[in-house]
Amino acid sequence: MDFIHFLELIVIVAILLVVGIPLFGKLKLKKLVEAVDAASDKYKHLLVRKEETLISLKDLEFDFSTDKISEPDYKQLRHKLEREAEVILETLDQLEQERRKNKPRKSA
Amino acid sequence: MNDIGEFTLLLALATAVYGCVAYIMSARGNRIDLYLSADKTPFIVWACVMTSSICLWRAFLTDDFSLQYVWAYSNIELDTFYKVSSFWGGQKGSLLFWTLLLSTYMLVVYFQNRKKNLRVVPYAMAIMLVIVVFFLVLINFSTNPFERIPLPPEDGRGLNPLLQNYWMVIHPPTLYLGYVGFTVPFAFAVAALISKDLDDGWIRMTRKWTLISWFFLCMGNLFGASWAYVELGWGGYWAWDPVENAAFMPLLIATAYLHSVMIQEKKDMMKVWNMSLILLTFSMTIFGTFITRSGLIQSVHTFDEATLGYFFLGFLFVIITSCAALIISRLPLLKSANELDSFLSRESSFLFNNLLLLGIAFATFWGTIFPIISEAVRGVKITVGPPFYNQVNVPIGLALLALVGIGPVIAWRRATLSNLKKNFLKPLLAAMVGAMAMFPVIPLGSRAEIYTYATFVISIFVLSCILAEFYKGTVARMGLHEESVAGALSTMAWRNKRRYGGYIVHIGVVMIFAGIAGSQAYGTHTEKHLKLGESFEIRGYTIRYEKLVAIEATNIKTRIIAQLAVERDGKRYWTGHPEKEFYKGQNQPVSEVDVLSTWKEDLYMILADFREDESATIKVYVNPMVSWMWTGGWIIAFGAMVSMWPDRLEQRRRLDRIRKQEQLFLSPAQE
Repeated sequence: MDFIHFLELIVIVAILLVVGIPLFGKLKLKKLVEAVDAASDKYKHLLVRKEETLISLKDLEFDFSTDKISEPDYKQLRHKLEREAEVILETLDQLEQERRKNKPRKSA
Repeated sequence: MNDIGEFTLLLALATAVYGCVAYIMSARGNRIDLYLSADKTPFIVWACVMTSSICLWRAFLTDDFSLQYVWAYSNIELDTFYKVSSFWGGQKGSLLFWTLLLSTYMLVVYFQNRKKNLRVVPYAMAIMLVIVVFFLVLINFSTNPFERIPLPPEDGRGLNPLLQNYWMVIHPPTLYLGYVGFTVPFAFAVAALISKDLDDGWIRMTRKWTLISWFFLCMGNLFGASWAYVELGWGGYWAWDPVENAAFMPLLIATAYLHSVMIQEKKDMMKVWNMSLILLTFSMTIFGTFITRSGLIQSVHTFDEATLGYFFLGFLFVIITSCAALIISRLPLLKSANELDSFLSRESSFLFNNLLLLGIAFATFWGTIFPIISEAVRGVKITVGPPFYNQVNVPIGLALLALVGIGPVIAWRRATLSNLKKNFLKPLLAAMVGAMAMFPVIPLGSRAEIYTYATFVISIFVLSCILAEFYKGTVARMGLHEESVAGALSTMAWRNKRRYGGYIVHIGVVMIFAGIAGSQAYGTHTEKHLKLGESFEIRGYTIRYEKLVAIEATNIKTRIIAQLAVERDGKRYWTGHPEKEFYKGQNQPVSEVDVLSTWKEDLYMILADFREDESATIKVYVNPMVSWMWTGGWIIAFGAMVSMWPDRLEQRRRLDRIRKQEQLFLSPAQE
């Protein structure tokens, strides 16, 4: 066996070790991700929507300040966006409350 | 070293296959041990491909002609500069280079995301590894760059003289960085489909990647045009060649995606459309490699040994059918939650821009594949030339140019018609004034000249719209904060990098449109056979042929240089030196043009032929406004940089806020 082949063998063994150790070692966690229920997914989605609605409100302010929309349209859209934000916040609150109800309290 | 290069390629393939399987199994079985094991593979694959690439570079730099690839694309006399770039000069090396870039991108994605969204990331890594596996299979078993020659020759065949240009070092890597970059958003989109995590998380994770890839693809196209202009010696920069089209189509579709994805972010709409667009963009990058490597379509860009077409076609088929099936199976989850508020809104203008961009992409695609279809159906290969593309794409392009100006003026969600009229009034007036000022001085005798006139008028309109946006934003900010004009303008642009970076890109696009229009309609050229001392006139320039010089530049290269004095109004203005280069072992000489470039026009000179009595055939083009295109390219680069610049404050805070709230919700109740 020449030096190059020896080197190749060492590299293969090193890779097998690096890749294999997690498979045979003891790990604290077993699961890659905790089971995510529909409520968590919805919550996550609504958080993003909340931020996007806030950005849309900022955009609307900007569009109004640069004279792209009339005052009546601005007011109407602002009301619509605020209503959307309200619904999102209410739903988020609702989901948080349900989560609190369903999860057992930690012992003091 | 060559043994090591070959070995590491095989090792990279084995590791990539394992990584791919382990990532998928870890995600499906929710097993952290498999994930941690697979998690090592992106780095190992990258290290192996990098080692292999270093071995190939070493072979080029040390003139190791025992490798068939080095023999075919290098020789002892070749500049070190070109020995480095010869790596991607042929099919084998270009595939290895592609794999190197892909594995490098994969490594960066791995470092960025390995601890984030573990529902999506394992699948995304697996998709990227599948693509790496495809390329590694080709390299290992079909086009191995480490293939040996049993009896190594003393010298190599040399790099094609056309490729011995500094653009060879810049253009292919830039284009590849764009092509390969779209693998990342594609992989995350498919991962989102597989994992059913279909909110816009994958878009947020890949937003910068999309911008970076778009930027490189755009610059790659422009660099390619610039290279063709200075190297191919036909006076033009774009010929609607199939391979040029192959790089242009993903750029068009990616541009459509960049716009429509904003609607999904803002309104949670168009999920199917955006998925389809990113799938199409990636498919077009693979289609591009199919074109260059199939040998089915004739192009100046195709590789000599283009034999891999069917592999790429098969891969393309698998990608399109499996992704289409995935999208169809997830349709209920991809339903839009919202609708357009109004047809008179920025969203609508983006939709219209999408249709136009796809229209140009489809026309270009049709023209590109028509020779294959005509040969398959009628047995005759009918090549589609520039008249077809110009006839179809120019009117659509003009409508698109107008939208570049209209879009930013229309408000998001709903615009008010009266305000819209008011906002468009000044840009329209500017365009009308421009139209009237240009009318007496611009010829309008042909369709091309009318289109050019229209392009200039629309360009004035668009520039006025964009500048008005900067002005109105600055004034609005000055009204809210006590800032100077410069302070308000810079703060406003810096705090809204995405918006104003985009507007700067639009200015660059306008410059490119104007440059193309001007150079296509008002150019002229002439060809004269001259004896020493003779002269001729072209558009106010007097070109005098002064002398012909032969220089032995290297052992393999001889330069024949013509000296041409350019006079204007009786005064010497410039001296041009177009030349012909002869390379030992190459049948065809290469023309090296000389160009005097100004804002107004390019004076483009070619030494077409020469005789023993020192007489020479000189070809001169006057190409108006070509430099506008290159300037537009740099403006696009600047605008894209502004858009891509990391937003350290607001966006990061926003993402942190979402993440923290998400963690609070997912962790057990704390009361």
